[in-house]
Amino acid sequence: MNMLNSFIPALAFLFQEVEGDRWAQMRHAAANPDLSKFLVIGALLFIIGVAGVLTRRNIIVIFMSIELILNAANLNFVAFSRYLQETGSVNALAGQIFTVFVIVVAAAEAAIGLGIVIALYRNKETIWVDEIDLLKW
Amino acid sequence: MTLSGYEALFFWIFALAAIFAALLTVMARNAVHSALFLISSLVSVAALFVLAGAEFIAGVQILVYVGGVMVLFLFVIMLVNVGAEEQGREPIFNKQRQVTASLIFCFLLVGGVLYAVNTGYRGLQKLHPQPEAPVGLTPDQGAGNAITATGTSRMTNDTERVGGSLYRYASLPFEIASVLLLVAIIGSVMLARTLKQEASADDVDPDTLQEEIARDPELAKLESQSE
Repeated sequence: MNMLNSFIPALAFLFQEVEGDRWAQMRHAAANPDLSKFLVIGALLFIIGVAGVLTRRNIIVIFMSIELILNAANLNFVAFSRYLQETGSVNALAGQIFTVFVIVVAAAEAAIGLGIVIALYRNKETIWVDEIDLLKW
Repeated sequence: MTLSGYEALFFWIFALAAIFAALLTVMARNAVHSALFLISSLVSVAALFVLAGAEFIAGVQILVYVGGVMVLFLFVIMLVNVGAEEQGREPIFNKQRQVTASLIFCFLLVGGVLYAVNTGYRGLQKLHPQPEAPVGLTPDQGAGNAITATGTSRMTNDTERVGGSLYRYASLPFEIASVLLLVAIIGSVMLARTLKQEASADDVDPDTLQEEIARDPELAKLESQSE
């Protein structure tokens, strides 16, 4: 396991070097999720969103994947805000305020994007992104 | 920050729900199913917000995303309905090579992000070595709120503090956000309007209108109605 950790540092997150029973340590970590668990969940949601943007053909589903990405960023903001509250930082609520602005921008982006989708559908009669290739040489 | 007890249980339930719903959003064949799975993912993330002590953000998330943005999405799916038989035939993913390349990229990104979280979090722990603090109580806040026996339920004045600092420290961005929303409303109305609607509102350049009437005689009727 040590060799694996040295090759793939990301796995060290799961198999951290701990004293005592590793299984008990992992169970303790699972029973007490902290900031890092929030960050991992946010990272996974982000990656799923990126995969959706890169692989899907339906432009509406691509927009939904963008919402997923923004939502993952919001989760990180809120988790760090909570973390900073417990360290007694004066700017602890900045994360939550920023989340409000991210939600506002996401709503504006969705309205504009869906307006573009409707205009596009009216002119090209398609929602598949690989058939919308006017700018492709 | 450390959750414990039932909070930890609900954390894992909602985290798994959010991730599975996000996966199904990306993989569902029908766009309406995608939208419904995205709604459940957003609600699960709102529950995670509550567990992280951000009740106001959770409420805003459900009101704005689920109540507003997703309804907009469902309307647009209804308007650009491609038909069930075509949805069954068309492939939903890009070509094989593109999908392979992007999945490789995504796995690299997973590795990079997890590595960054891992090393960064260790550095953070060194920076703020924390004793096991009681859940969700900042030192100056603890006196007014009685802790229950389990230490998990509490009263917060979190929303009040968010509102206070929103207006105190972020009032200029707040106003800019309202202008941004106004621009978005006007822009989407302009984008989604048809030529007929523009002609009946007498909102087209006369020369352009003459050209379009030559192509589509019905527009002339609309224009005479508006006058």
